[in-house]
Amino acid sequence: MRVVIADDEVLLRDGLDRLLTEAGFDVVGKAGTARDLHRDVELAHPDVAIIDIKMPPTHTDEGLVAAQQIRASHPAVGVLVLSHFLESHYAMRLIQQHPGGAGYLLKERVSGVGVLADALARVHEGECVIDPTIVSRLLRRARPASALGQLTGRERQVLALMAEGRSNKAICERLFLGPKTVEGHVRNIFTKLGIGESADDHRRVLAVLSYLRSAPQPQA
Amino acid sequence: MARASRFALLAAGFALGVFSLAVARRGIGYSFGGGSAFAGAAELAAGYALLAVGFAAWMRPRQARLGAILVAASFGWFLVEWNNPGAGSAVVFTIGLVLYAAAAPLVAHAMLAYPDGRVGWWPGRLGLALGYAGSVLVLGLLAAAVFDPGAEGCAQCPRNLLLADGGSSGTYGSLNRAGIFLGLTWSLLVTVLAAGDLIRATPARRRLAAPVVVAGCAYLGLVAAEFAHSWHRGFLGFDGLDRRLWLGEAAALCVLSLAVVWAWVRAWRTRSALAGLVIELAESPPPGGLRDALAGVLHDPSIQLAYPLADGRLAGTRRKAVELTGEVTPIVRGRQQVALLSHRPGLLAEPALAEEVAAAARLALENERLQAEAWSQLEDLRASRARIIQAGDAERHRLVRDLHDGAQQRLVTLSLALRLARTRLGHGLDPALAERIDEAEDELRAALADLRELAQEIFPVILAEEGLSAAVEALAEAVPVPMEIITLPHERLGSLAEAAAYFVVSEAVRRDPVSTLKVSAARRGSRLVVEVEGGNMPAEITDLQDRVGALDGTVTVVRGPGGRATIRADIPCES
Repeated sequence: MRVVIADDEVLLRDGLDRLLTEAGFDVVGKAGTARDLHRDVELAHPDVAIIDIKMPPTHTDEGLVAAQQIRASHPAVGVLVLSHFLESHYAMRLIQQHPGGAGYLLKERVSGVGVLADALARVHEGECVIDPTIVSRLLRRARPASALGQLTGRERQVLALMAEGRSNKAICERLFLGPKTVEGHVRNIFTKLGIGESADDHRRVLAVLSYLRSAPQPQA
Repeated sequence: MARASRFALLAAGFALGVFSLAVARRGIGYSFGGGSAFAGAAELAAGYALLAVGFAAWMRPRQARLGAILVAASFGWFLVEWNNPGAGSAVVFTIGLVLYAAAAPLVAHAMLAYPDGRVGWWPGRLGLALGYAGSVLVLGLLAAAVFDPGAEGCAQCPRNLLLADGGSSGTYGSLNRAGIFLGLTWSLLVTVLAAGDLIRATPARRRLAAPVVVAGCAYLGLVAAEFAHSWHRGFLGFDGLDRRLWLGEAAALCVLSLAVVWAWVRAWRTRSALAGLVIELAESPPPGGLRDALAGVLHDPSIQLAYPLADGRLAGTRRKAVELTGEVTPIVRGRQQVALLSHRPGLLAEPALAEEVAAAARLALENERLQAEAWSQLEDLRASRARIIQAGDAERHRLVRDLHDGAQQRLVTLSLALRLARTRLGHGLDPALAERIDEAEDELRAALADLRELAQEIFPVILAEEGLSAAVEALAEAVPVPMEIITLPHERLGSLAEAAAYFVVSEAVRRDPVSTLKVSAARRGSRLVVEVEGGNMPAEITDLQDRVGALDGTVTVVRGPGGRATIRADIPCES
């Protein structure tokens, strides 16, 4: 898989390059600024771009903006944004426009080559990837007694995996369940939470995340 | 002069008018007012008008000098009839010979000295000196000294008491011509000077003096015409044109008297309005009410009041900046400028009026000045507090960015290096060493999580970068109590207002960590209104008030039913 890396920190960029190369990825470009990143995407035809959320000049959200631009201009190129921020706000900003082929991981994931490789592969296949820490934080979040409390333990597990962007097939593999069983769980979850079911996997991520992000009114 | 003497002069003036008309009627051919009832009425009207107005001015402390000059002018106006064969007495006749031309310089003097009775300008004084010399000395005293009525063909004239040893017809004629030349010169000179002075005067002074000066110049113009008409004849006479010019002069003097009265009427109207102000102010006016009160009683809605501060700035009331436009009159007490009053041109033209405003509104002015001073100091203080808070926020934001870009980034790089080292060592790794590396990686992850939490506590970067709504939503994800978000603004509202609003919400969360909170923030016009409702809201909100107060906002706690309470912050924001 062809990958470009955008990060203004040279040490990290080079380390990531070596790690990914050793794991069998083909690093075709390294950029320190959003402009260089766009040039690399244009010229090197990567499958996925790994982008740090903070880039020059202001070090606020240049990486996020660049990722959205790449999704819009090069639909074949997946983007994986690395961020220090746990807040789901930034992840939602990334996937709101183009939920497919986009991922949002916490930056410390770079050392876990297995997680990184998995996320890159999923983004490349057009899936949506949300960091499990962010999802579990949303699930743990304090809220008034809500429909979430009516879910069974298994259903909560399925919900979390859906929020991370996993497909039904991936959920089956993760939880060692049959496809029919998972489909049943998914239907139950949507019914209990009152979310309209969506055939599209990444639309499903958006719906679930939005539900988890909002603080629903306590049920009467 | 004593009051009694002034009344005596008034009585004398009235008697003088009647007597002079009687003299004129006895010598119709040598008089202005004797020829017809109309001319007589004109003579009395002009003279008595000057006399009455002069007397009234004399009774006013600020215009006593002007009054004396006007009274003298009225005497001079009547004396023109006394060099008349009908005078009947040598004394009257002789006085007439000396003073028959004295009215013109006296009226010119009154005009130049209006309104306070002083001519503080040397060209004016020179013109008047020429006038008095030409009319009283040359045409009067010197000519009288050489005038022999009998020799000049006036058999029925009384005796000239000043004639010493026989008259000289030649000298008499020369003196008359010189007097007429001087008269023409000074009357034109003074007219031009007075008109020029009026044009150059401030608008306020022009408005005040214009009616008097215009009437006076008309009078002097007619006098100049009379001198010009007499040039070839060689003496001042009584032909048809002379009489018509004289009637014009009488009319001009009536107008001049009315002009003086009109200025009084105007001042009186303003003054009685000010008297109303005293009463109105006695009923304890609200702050800023003085301007409205002044605007009301002076019938000038454009009035603005401003108070000069020690540092040279101008402060208004009602915490608003003021701009003074139009005519500005300082209100002075002692030597101190208490306030500046801008108003429509000419409103406070009479100098005394500004002082009367100061006197009438003394307490209210002082009160408002102190208030304006206090407000401006408060405003300075508030701005300083806002700057301190802003500087603190900026510094904490910088710290957090340093943490992100420095320590956090290095720890991530370190964990990456550790991972690389481990893969390099390959599968033949000593299990004990592998475990140590795993531990180190766990420690690093924990350090990163701690660092993130620390950064969040120092300053919520999301607030500065993404705004209030994103920051409050992020807070709701992180806090241990459920937060019900009712509404949040969609737009950015300025970093100071957003930071203050966030502070209110996060402090409420910190202090009420057990009950479900209801949070709402919404913009209403140029205010951001934040409400946090909870079951255990603190009573002590001084720090919230400090933070919000620095932006000129307010924080209140409203207790509701069932022990719940709402903290409500009202914060000015960018629109």
